[in-house]
Amino acid sequence: MLQIHCPYCQGLRSEEEFAYGGEAHIRRPADPGALTDQAWGEYLHFRKNPRGLHRELWQHAAGCRRYFNVLRDTVSYEILKVYPIGEKP
Amino acid sequence: MSEQANAAAVTFRREATKGCLNLRGDPADAGFQQGVAAALGLNPPLPPCTFHQAGDATLYWLAPDEWLAMMPDGVQSEREEELRRVLHGHFSVVDVSGAYQLFRLAGPDAQKVLQKSSPYDFHPHPFAPGSCVQTVFGKTTALVARHPSDVFDLLVRTSYADYVHRWVAAAAEEYGLATEAASHP
Repeated sequence: MLQIHCPYCQGLRSEEEFAYGGEAHIRRPADPGALTDQAWGEYLHFRKNPRGLHRELWQHAAGCRRYFNVLRDTVSYEILKVYPIGEKP
Repeated sequence: MSEQANAAAVTFRREATKGCLNLRGDPADAGFQQGVAAALGLNPPLPPCTFHQAGDATLYWLAPDEWLAMMPDGVQSEREEELRRVLHGHFSVVDVSGAYQLFRLAGPDAQKVLQKSSPYDFHPHPFAPGSCVQTVFGKTTALVARHPSDVFDLLVRTSYADYVHRWVAAAAEEYGLATEAASHP
């Protein structure tokens, strides 16, 4: 079980309280209508699956219910950084 | 240890229905803070996972811009109107009275019952009196708040109230449980 620091509740909480939100920092295209089917498909469905450092979204589902960003090593599961939505490390 | 010695190491009571208002606004806005203080008689707690209590009202921190105000059933409509009268700008007040059921858990072993039910660390440090936490509780979620002298508020969704009641009854059995009937005003 991971222990995740919630940047809003400001404490280490059990992974049970959180929901995984997938890859972070995916920007919705400004004009989806102008995209090719392939570019739109890649925005919708294609995600990085790195071995190593991964920036991802987590939601404190049982707590403050806010989303935040986590920088996690997918090999060691070590969490290197937790930062609020809107921040770019 | 005999059952007699264990008697009432934990007491558990289903409280009467409360009036509940979900309140959202900008904590950095002095007008918001003053408005809430004027309407409810207490300031919104700003440190994460804390609550304030004054008069007949309790205000729990839920998130950086979200609080839950709890008061006796029947006064929430006029408090909501008062909040809407004094607050300005970007805020939200929603009457969620039917959504929550309050339980009161108390006694020297009450903390052990909580520890059996949730992954959260309910040790008095950091979970000191005046703290409240939203966490996993059994197979559902709850807001747990700590008062002095091993007294805890347990706020759960109404639809899970019966489940939580049975869960606590089972979890507290080994310590000696006294359940009290609902206190109706």
